[in-house]
Parts: sequence; C-alpha cells; structure tokens
Amino acid sequence: MSTQRLQQLKGHFLSEHKVTSMAGPVSPLSTHVLNIALGVPGSNVSLSLYRQDTPSEVWSLITTGITNADGRCPGLITKEMFTSGVYKLRFETQQYWESIGEASFYPYVEIVFTISDPGQKYHIPLLMSRFSYSTYRGS
Amino acid sequence: ISPLTTHVLNIAEGAPATRMALSLHRLDHNTKIWNMLTVGTTNTDGRCPGLISRAGFTPGTYKLRFETGQYWDSLGQTAFYPYVEVVFTFKEPDQRFHIPLLLSRFSYSTYRGS
Repeated sequence: MSTQRLQQLKGHFLSEHKVTSMAGPVSPLSTHVLNIALGVPGSNVSLSLYRQDTPSEVWSLITTGITNADGRCPGLITKEMFTSGVYKLRFETQQYWESIGEASFYPYVEIVFTISDPGQKYHIPLLMSRFSYSTYRGS
Repeated sequence: ISPLTTHVLNIAEGAPATRMALSLHRLDHNTKIWNMLTVGTTNTDGRCPGLISRAGFTPGTYKLRFETGQYWDSLGQTAFYPYVEVVFTFKEPDQRFHIPLLLSRFSYSTYRGS
C-alpha cells in the first residue's frame, strides 16, 4: 500500500477517535466521600440512595453504587426521577474501614435530606474518619 | 452520670441548640428492630443529662436521633435535613461516649469526643 494511501487511512481512524465521549446528562444529585484521616478520597465505598414514599413513609431504593477512585459515584439519579421529597443516602462506612483493616465507631452513615426544589443541583459530600463524620450541602 | 452524653451546638449562631428533642434507641440484633430507650430535650447548654444508666449501657448498636427539622422550624427557619440519626456500635463493656452534634441549616458533623 502506498504511503499516501496509508496516510489517508490513518486520517480516517484519527477522526473517528476524535468523537467526544457521549457522557449522559449529569445527575442532579452527587456525592463525594473523603477519608479525612488519610487525606484521600474514600474509594470503593458502597452506597445506596432511597426516596421516602408518601404517605406510607416507606423507603424505596432508587440506586446502589460504589465510589470510584476519586470518591465519587456518578449517575445517582436522573433528572426525571428526581422529584421533590425526602431522600436518604446510606454509606457502608464500616465495610470501607474494615476493607482497609480498621475498626470504626459507626456501622454505617445515613444522611436524610429534603429536596423541595428538584430543579437545583445538590452535592452532598461525606467527610469521614474512623471516629467522626461531617456532611453539608455543597456545590 | 450517664455513660453516654451528647452536646448539640448551633454553629451558625455560635450557641448551644436548646430545646431540641432527641431519642436514644438500641438495635435488637435478633429482630433488627430499634427499641426506643429514652426521649429527652436539650437544656440551655445544649445537653441532655441522664440518657442511659451505667447498667443499661450494654455493648451493642445504638442510635441517637436528633429532631433537627423541628428545631429549625421552632426558630422559623427551613433546613436541609428533617432529622439527624447517628448510629454507633461498641463491643467492650464499661465504656463512656460523648457524641456531640454540630449543626447549621445546611450541614452537620459529629465525632466521638470526651
């Protein structure tokens, strides 16, 4: 095959690889788990998102996931499913500490929060050590 | 003195969170049901003495539930969390724990203190 032809072919492949990744729409709800004892993201932390039904007050499971190397878990919920209501994020923190060979004071952490305006974005970090944790509404 | 104490602080105001309702529960490991042990209300210092007796505080899994939503409501404010539950566990008997809750309308933190 001629060099010219090879160059042409290479041009085809490169332009295909230039396709931007079609990331889906970003979840309106996000989290970020941080191990503040070590100053690193809390990776491989299992978590689950629930919404509370009304009027039964029963918790319905929406998503389960696990944090990535950056302590995040994209795709928690879609815009369509994100309606007003009371939600709960449950983090399997004791499993996490055990997986790195440590005991912990809290068997899990549950954060219950109220979404009154689902048009906004909500970022709910969890900063944790073996004997403490904190959370806040971030951005 | 109760071997379990708490202290609720309104860090937005830099003051104790007074008159906040709270309850202590113990998990029955067989039935997985939470049994309520005590209900109380924080005093002017944000504390709630007498949560549990020495004899009653056996190793296990406990939950302190703070009625934070009601508290902010009583101050005429909205808040992000309808309540806060802190679940903790211990295996060795004869331990004491101090579990503060530092709170604003959009954040909270807790730790094992002394």
